[in-house]
Amino acid sequence: MSAGDSAQVPSTPTRAPGLSTPARRGSGRLLASAPRRLAARARLVALTAAALGAAVAIAACGSSGHSKSTAASKPSTTASAPGTPHPGGSLTVLELGGYAGAWPAGLDPATNTNGAADQDQMNAIYGQLFQLAGGGGQGHVIPDIATGYKAEDGGKTWLIYLRPGVKFSDGTPLDAQAVVFNWKRDLASPCTCKPILLVNSITAPNPTTVKLSLKVPDGALINQLLVANFNWIASPTALKKMGEQKFKITPVGAGPFEVVSDTLSNTLVLKKNPNYWQKGRPYLDGLTFKATADDESALETMQANGAQAYDGMATPQLVPQFRAHFTTTEEPATSPYDIQLNTAVPPFNNIKARLAIYYATNAKLIDQKLFGDQFPVVQGFTAPGGLFYEPTIPGYPTYNLAKAKALVKQLGGLNVNFFTLSSPVNQNFMTALQAMWKQAGINASIHLYTLAGLIQQFDTKKWQAALQTAGAWDPAAGVGLAFRFASTSPFSGVHDPHLDALINQAQAAVNPATRKQLYFQAAEYIAKNAYGPFLFPLASWNVAAHGVYGPGLTTSIPSVVVNTAPLWQDVWMK
Amino acid sequence: MSASSTPAPLAAPVAARGRLLRRLAGASVLRFIGRRLLAAIPVLWGVSFLTFIVMNALPGDAAQELLGSSATPAEVHQLSVKLGLDKPFLTRYGDWLHDLITGHLGHSLASGQSVASILGSDLPVTLELIAYAFVISLVVAVPAAVLAARRPGGVFDRVSLVLSMGGLSIANYVLALLLVYVFAVKLGVLPAIGWVPPGQGFGQNLRTLTLPALSIAIPLLCFYARLLRADLVEQLQGEEYVMTARAKGAGPWRVLLRHALRNAIFGLITVVALNLGTLLGATVIIEDIFGLPGIGHELLDAISNRDVPVVEGAVVVFGVAVVLANLLADLLYSALDPRVRYGGSAN
Repeated sequence: MSAGDSAQVPSTPTRAPGLSTPARRGSGRLLASAPRRLAARARLVALTAAALGAAVAIAACGSSGHSKSTAASKPSTTASAPGTPHPGGSLTVLELGGYAGAWPAGLDPATNTNGAADQDQMNAIYGQLFQLAGGGGQGHVIPDIATGYKAEDGGKTWLIYLRPGVKFSDGTPLDAQAVVFNWKRDLASPCTCKPILLVNSITAPNPTTVKLSLKVPDGALINQLLVANFNWIASPTALKKMGEQKFKITPVGAGPFEVVSDTLSNTLVLKKNPNYWQKGRPYLDGLTFKATADDESALETMQANGAQAYDGMATPQLVPQFRAHFTTTEEPATSPYDIQLNTAVPPFNNIKARLAIYYATNAKLIDQKLFGDQFPVVQGFTAPGGLFYEPTIPGYPTYNLAKAKALVKQLGGLNVNFFTLSSPVNQNFMTALQAMWKQAGINASIHLYTLAGLIQQFDTKKWQAALQTAGAWDPAAGVGLAFRFASTSPFSGVHDPHLDALINQAQAAVNPATRKQLYFQAAEYIAKNAYGPFLFPLASWNVAAHGVYGPGLTTSIPSVVVNTAPLWQDVWMK
Repeated sequence: MSASSTPAPLAAPVAARGRLLRRLAGASVLRFIGRRLLAAIPVLWGVSFLTFIVMNALPGDAAQELLGSSATPAEVHQLSVKLGLDKPFLTRYGDWLHDLITGHLGHSLASGQSVASILGSDLPVTLELIAYAFVISLVVAVPAAVLAARRPGGVFDRVSLVLSMGGLSIANYVLALLLVYVFAVKLGVLPAIGWVPPGQGFGQNLRTLTLPALSIAIPLLCFYARLLRADLVEQLQGEEYVMTARAKGAGPWRVLLRHALRNAIFGLITVVALNLGTLLGATVIIEDIFGLPGIGHELLDAISNRDVPVVEGAVVVFGVAVVLANLLADLLYSALDPRVRYGGSAN
């Protein structure tokens, strides 16, 4: 059943969004980044040393290729058979401070600027209209507070059907009027957490139906909801009663849990919502989210039983240590790294220079040397965990040092100003690429910036090359294809009307097969014009103490934005 | 009971306390305190202005940081206007200063909460952490220094030297991870993360603070122990009053504790007071590692979010704390040494 069909309970994958996943510490780190966690500097030094070592190794190995795995190896999970779920218990979950563990603006859907990273907390409090469940490698959208949807008028009108009888934890009804109130409020907010939609009207034809009328067709709407604040419905009554300032600290939703206490960006204590719509859920009596300084601290905290789960561990080198003690589940990656090239200015306004970068980049070798050959090298903006994944793209220029050298010679040399967001992982990447390109005669000067510095670079319009992530679970959502490759995006180096048209058509199409075909064409077109080589997506890992089980925690669900979002109502512990 | 009838062992402390009270009550001391507090005003102003300049010089602003890189320039501008970030630098600083003078610290740009209420809830955590760290460091450092100074070059002195060097050589965030590994992971006697308010059980509260406090205290106590030991040895070997005391038959411990220690402690007091600033800096890292909801943790988040009012508020609180600590140290000099007078002539 496609998103375009009338659907009470959608059973096939639709699509969703993403800012980027484990790249959260890398180029895709979009929210509240900046100079966090001074303690992590120690690791930065260590990883920098590792990067230099790896760069030397890469330079020495050249195009030959095999190495020992330096990090974790498969299998992706060490979970044992869980048995029958039973209720009770309280779970403490760690979230990375400054990222998924940061909610400086509170937890109001309309104003939580870090909402895309705070999906765990938001989902636990508000539930979701639709949620992404595991299965099939790429996951699939299932209804939660909604029961289904229907697209009309070629994707310009959407009807969202709500589950009857759902109540907020304050006892007031979650009906269509509440959704309309929330959506209008979300759209009026300056927060980028709102979906990028051209809205004509939002109405409630009846208490269980919301009608969204758009100015242009949007076949990816449901998937876009998953990454946007539209998916979280706050209690209008509680909001009016408390006022915005208080509500953002102790919000009221219709999710499986309600707030007990909230210390911003530190600790969020939740207890079971007695009014939760699904009988017998949630299994847990209590759920606490705590910010942790970094992955090493998280490991020690879990070993000391200070927490029983950690969502979004992103240091490949620590996987063996986590796996030795806990159930460690690799979450499907959705956003590959890519090398963005600014085609508007020299040297990359010349296709020969762009091709030289393609030919000089051996993604497989970097994967082997830095990440133990864990991640699949890709040739497009999709990854195995995302929709419309294509493992190979016809005409993609693969690594060929001789061709790279020849092109550089033709160009009379190639000097590249290469930048990215500052993070240990990115530092490794940049150093390795610099060493690798040097073999082809390409001289890259590397620069690492804070988020603000990075944005300033894009603002100059004179940047040359950047290491970024591209794509998302659904290429039409979040930091999707358009974000990196459309003319209208300030973070794109490509200004090509034909590619723009393909991107727009792929988002507008309601039929998934049509969308897949259009995205394939876009990937081919990018390869043909050498608009930027793709590397591989980094995965993140969810960690749970033995005896803790739950979808997304001990099973795989692709990440829609930053980390995988476990379905907290279904999490249980022995 | 009259002073003359006070039992001999208590006579000296009581007399000292009396002298302290008399000095504190004296107008010269009050004038001294007043002058110091007045002098602190330009210092605090300078610190706040410098902080404002630095925050302004950092790339990006709160609107950009809060909205992330996917925000369009129009969205960033809209939020900037809403937060008042579009105003000129001096206007923004003037507004903040005006609020401060009228008793308001403003509101967080990120959460909209009052900065006073944010810092009010964070401050007790940080104060308790610092106090606990000071207590640990002094309780260990002073006896260790005395024992080491008792026999310079002896076994205890050498062992304490090695341990002190070790303690001084290790960064406190590395020490924090080591302590967690030993006491939380391996021994399981202390929590690795989290905070329990004193109201929910003082014992639990101290348990959650012990590892953070040790992470701060261990490098400190190593430094204090070596400093005090050196001062004590200098006093014992070079001062005439020590020879006099010995000549009068005072035992070695009495000379050490009653005479040399009292004179040697001045250096330690100065360093402890000056250390407060460093200590406040250490809390930024330690609170983050241990998940403590204190001012250090808040400051780190605020800097990340370019949340200038919160940063300024924290800096002012830190500044006031350092000023008061140094003032207290000066008053302690007077209490410990009758020759020290403030606002009058010195004997």
